[in-house]
This record gives sequence, C-alpha cells and structure tokens, in this order.
Amino acid sequence: MKNFNRKYQPILTLLARLVLGGVLLVAGGLKALKPSESASAVAAYKILPTQIAHLAGYALPWLEIAVGILLIIGLSARFAAVVGALVMVLFVIAIISVWARGLLIDCGCFGGGGAVDPAQAAQVHRTYLLEILRDLGLALIGLYLYFFPYGLVSIEKPLQIIEEQ
Amino acid sequence: MAKQAKATKASGGDNFTRWLVIGMVTLVVATGAIFSVVGQKNKANESFAALNGFKQGGAIAATVDPANGSGITLASTATKTIDLWEDPQCPICNNFEQANGAYIDELVRTNKAKVTYHVLSFLGNESISAANAEFCAADEGHYLDFHKAVYMVQPALENSGFWTSTNLLKIGKYVGLTSKSFTDCVNKASKLDQVKAAYDSMPKYNVKGTPTVFINGKLWERKNSSFLLDEFRTAVEAG
Repeated sequence: MKNFNRKYQPILTLLARLVLGGVLLVAGGLKALKPSESASAVAAYKILPTQIAHLAGYALPWLEIAVGILLIIGLSARFAAVVGALVMVLFVIAIISVWARGLLIDCGCFGGGGAVDPAQAAQVHRTYLLEILRDLGLALIGLYLYFFPYGLVSIEKPLQIIEEQ
Repeated sequence: MAKQAKATKASGGDNFTRWLVIGMVTLVVATGAIFSVVGQKNKANESFAALNGFKQGGAIAATVDPANGSGITLASTATKTIDLWEDPQCPICNNFEQANGAYIDELVRTNKAKVTYHVLSFLGNESISAANAEFCAADEGHYLDFHKAVYMVQPALENSGFWTSTNLLKIGKYVGLTSKSFTDCVNKASKLDQVKAAYDSMPKYNVKGTPTVFINGKLWERKNSSFLLDEFRTAVEAG
C-alpha cells in the first residue's frame, strides 16, 4: 500500500484534485446561476434563521466555485482541499440533522432544493444516505489532498521539485 | 511521504502566497454573494410591477374567531358558507386564486356567501411572516385586497427571501394599507398567536394540504386537474 502510494501519488493527487474540484465547481456553478433557489434550499434545512440562511445560500456557491478552481489548477491545493473537505463535512452534518428531525427536503446539492412531497418519504431517505456517503467520500479525498497536495499538472510545485528541474 | 512533508514545509514558509490566495477567495465569495443578493432585490422589485394600477376593492369588515382556528370570516351574515384553507406561499393556492379569486371577491362583496379564510403557514418561516401580515390586514378591514395582492406578487420559489416585513408593507401600500397600526403589526409580528392557532386547527378539520375548500361544511373535490371557474361556481351554487 505504501509502495503503491509512493509510486502513483502524483497521479492520485491529480485525480483527487480533479474529482473534488470538479464536483465543487459544477455544484457551485449550477447554484450560482439560480441564487434564489440556493437561498431557499439553505432555508429549507431549517438550521439557520431564515435571513442568515439566505445569506449563506447566496455566498456558498461562490465559495464552492473559488475552491473548485483552486483545486483544479493546483494553486494552494492543500488550503483549498481543507476548505473543500470542511464544506463536505458541513453538508453531511446538515443532511444528518435534517434526517434526524424527520424533514423531507431535496438537498439542493446541485441546484434546486426545498421541501419534498411526503408521499416520497422512502425515496428521500434513500437519497439522504447516498448523499451522506458521497459527501463523506469527497471529504476523504480532501483529507488525502491535505497529506499529498502536490501532484501532476499543478501551478504550484513543491520547492524540491523546482530545485530538481 | 518524506518528499511531500519536506515540500509542504518549504511552501508553508511562503505566507504571502497563502494570504494572497485566502484574500482572493474571500474577495470572490464576497463579490459573488453581493452580486446575487442585488440580483434578487431587483427581481423582487420587478415582481411588484404586477401591482401597478392595482384596483382596490375597498374595505370590508372581517372577524377572526380564535375559538374556531382563527379563521378570517368575511360577510358573516350570509347563509351559504365557504371555507378556504391556504398558505400564502403555496403555488397551487395561487392557481386557485387566479381562477376563482374574483368570483369569491364578488360573493363576499354582494353578501352571497360567508367566506372564511384559514391562513396556514406550513411552508416555512416566510409563510409565517406573510400569514401574520394577512391577519394584520384583516384587522384593518383590507383582507380581501391584501390577500389578492399577495398572490399577485408571489415568487415561484418558497422561502427565497421575498416575504420580508419591507416587502409585505410595500404590498400593503398598493392596497391602501398605510396606517401605523398595520405597520406596527407587521414589523412586530403581532399576530403569531393567530397564525399558530390557524395552523394547529388543521387536524380538527381534517385538513392535510392546501388549497382545501369546504362549501357549506362539505369538502369540495374538483374533477378537473386544473381549477376551472365554471366547475367551482356550479359547486358553490349547488352547495
């Protein structure tokens, strides 16, 4: 395992950056195009007071876009990965909280969102689980990038590599 | 592993780059958020264009019976009764209003039916704000106009930040509600007790969704998928 990581780490890091950054960029972009939907989606979680939830709903997509771009181009990848992973952990907590309180909502992860018809309860619960697993996976990818932020095709390079060149 | 650790140690020393990146990210997030908020404000203002030239129907007395789920009753002397259960944010209630609102208005104003509006608020915090304002309007005798105007500007999305006190007071202005008592009532959310009482009375009347309509106490079930004035009028005249 250790050897495997040593051998493929640069490409693994690149893949991790593209996956986490790509998901964040797409999710943020879709939401930024429809800010009112994003604001109402955050409000639907009923965690924050409505006004603050709206503000978070307006700001969150841009944070996702910024961090996504940093990861993809490989600038401050470690910092961006930590922020990205924290955002994912936040999503997981939010979805668990919603699930525990018995609320039925569409997470609004990629735009849209809001309350869901109670008739679809079973399906919504299954979706919650998948979303939690997906976001946990993405958080783990972020964690990997915390330890190995430098890989292929990256603007920022570790000093040692620059010296080698 | 060793390589990475060394590398990060080296780059960790470069504080300037780190703060530059953090600064840029903050800047992007702040500008983006401001951009979105301003865009929404403009959109809200545009929706008020629907109220330009709003024809006020005039004041009409309303009574609110706290014992009866705080329903807002209009034309209380008429014998025929219509009970309407609505949420200010519910889009289907808006469809119902578009089809039958003018007819119900007429029934009330000609004293042909005793109409009771049960203002619900299960679609979130913004429904509560809007419902509170509707109770305030009822106190001032302007429920019918205010209710109509609320549906005319209703955004397609629930809880998207539209139903603020500022916007609710602005709706009030279009229907002639400018009194200090109305302004205070909206700003202080004075009617939350009634909003809650209306919501809590749902199980008592076996109401599970909106819009729900009872004609002479009997549940009205539409046969068409959309709301048709003829169908509703026939049901009211028969009921």
